Amino acid sequence: MDFFVYQNSYVFVAAFLLLGLLLPITALTVGRWLRPHHPDPLKSTTYESGIEPFHDARVQFNVRYYMFALLFVIFDVETVFLYPWAVAYDELGLFALVEMLIFVVMLLIGLIYAWKKKVLTWT
Amino acid sequence: MNGEVLVFLILASLAVIGGLLMLNLKKVVHMLLSLVLTFLSIAGLFIMLSAEFVAVVQVLIYSGAVTIMMIFGIMLTRHQDEQRVQKNRVRTWVVLIGILVFFYTMYEAITRFVSVEQASELHIENTKQIGMALYAKYVIPFELTSVLLLVALIGAIVLAKREEEEEVKQE
Repeated sequence: MDFFVYQNSYVFVAAFLLLGLLLPITALTVGRWLRPHHPDPLKSTTYESGIEPFHDARVQFNVRYYMFALLFVIFDVETVFLYPWAVAYDELGLFALVEMLIFVVMLLIGLIYAWKKKVLTWT
Repeated sequence: MNGEVLVFLILASLAVIGGLLMLNLKKVVHMLLSLVLTFLSIAGLFIMLSAEFVAVVQVLIYSGAVTIMMIFGIMLTRHQDEQRVQKNRVRTWVVLIGILVFFYTMYEAITRFVSVEQASELHIENTKQIGMALYAKYVIPFELTSVLLLVALIGAIVLAKREEEEEVKQE
């Protein structure tokens, strides 16, 4: 594959990116032009299924959310490492398989630790 | 000026604008979105360097996962605290001198940089090349990565669990 072809194929990506950016911008701008604008205090209250809103919406999060996000990041990184391994597997052979097994087992230890520490349960 | 330079200038200035907005905006979610802008423009720069796989990883890990983790981290803290601005003149000068020294060092390093060989075949089966290098040549760093991830995971669990126990005690 020519480098020129490689670069030029990204022109399409750029075009789609531009289109994707323009679509919401135009939709929201045209919507602003068309809709009537009569705000009043009752209209701008937070909608909570007919219940009168109370307290503040921005409460402090439970630490469990963070633990789930962290687990997600760790195993996301693992997946990223699996991609080049899978693509190059045919030329690497058994050695790469053992390598990847060590890698996966290491992270499995982490997962088992998280499980035993009851990070995965929501109480 | 050819197209490549133009695209580079657009992406580089978008990355810098994202960083500046992140420092100057007031609301945390806006800050996070400007950080995503920086991450995405860096992914664009990686594509220009024919590192497609690294670009995809940049989008997947940084603007996806790391951002999610940051927003959860921010939601955990007391984010309604007022920011107290402390103007310290000495600090401003020290920071300015630091910036100038950094700029000069980088400028000198870049102008004196002599490229040994042009890696011109990087765009051909980029992922496969990375796989070949990572799993045949750089085995030890790869296995150390798993240890690093394990340490990060266990460390975070230990810290979070302690915090949770304290919360239970307070109740």
